[in-house]
Amino acid sequence: MSVAAVEIGHEIPKLEITLTGDQVRRYATVAQMPGPRFMSDEIARKEGLPGQILPGNMSMALLSRMLTDWLPDARLEKLGVTFRGIVQPGKPIVCSGFVTDRRDEAGGVELECDLILEQAGERRITGVAGLRLPKP
Amino acid sequence: MSETLPLGIDPSVLDKEFDSSTSEPVTAEEIREYAASLGESHPAYFGATPVAPPTFCVKFRGHRFFHPAIPPETFVRGFDAGKDIQFGEPIRAGDVVHTSSVLHEIYEKTGRTGSMVFIVSRQMMKNQRGEMVAIIDSRFMLRPRDVK
Repeated sequence: MSVAAVEIGHEIPKLEITLTGDQVRRYATVAQMPGPRFMSDEIARKEGLPGQILPGNMSMALLSRMLTDWLPDARLEKLGVTFRGIVQPGKPIVCSGFVTDRRDEAGGVELECDLILEQAGERRITGVAGLRLPKP
Repeated sequence: MSETLPLGIDPSVLDKEFDSSTSEPVTAEEIREYAASLGESHPAYFGATPVAPPTFCVKFRGHRFFHPAIPPETFVRGFDAGKDIQFGEPIRAGDVVHTSSVLHEIYEKTGRTGSMVFIVSRQMMKNQRGEMVAIIDSRFMLRPRDVK
């Protein structure tokens, strides 16, 4: 998509995904976050959780993926999130967002976006992102 | 300023490096594997000389994540509250990442359920050319019953 068409209020195409436990273990391993709660239902339950959960960094990375899927030429300059609840494999995840600000500058276009990650109809993560794109 | 911060932390330790580490050179395979684990499809992440997805930087956690002045038992009952990342130069295959860690902030907030303490650990990352790669602020929250 061309950044020329992006205005304040523009909705970012959603990223909808259901991860398997194996996918979460793979991420946790390659991201060097082998916490037991990320690796197994059984161990996570011993910690008082309902089962295996995603590392917060993985949820954050899915929001980042949504942005670069949408605007592949964008450079992500900042990403901030608040973790409001756990995110689990085996249940649909919906990442969404919209543009809250646009600044056209000599060197390119800067966008600010609000981001949401939902599971089971609840906002589990909210965030903000700043993107920079070449001038259209 | 009060003499001590929440958890009895001396303010003089703030923003002073307590840990540093330097990675092995990042391999193309590590970058491709990280991108694949997220289902990424951007071609820049998968070529012979790939660029890492922005959040690849989170894997450089150093030797220890939180300041040694914070008692380890503090972390047993609290939880990860959030993260803010400022991205700099992208990480590429062959890069070496130097990570420096500081205790950036400790502050208290009062909500409906009482007082909560937030601990902000900051990791600052540079590549072998001295260029800023990322600054990551990780917030850890202690719920009211955990605050001593």
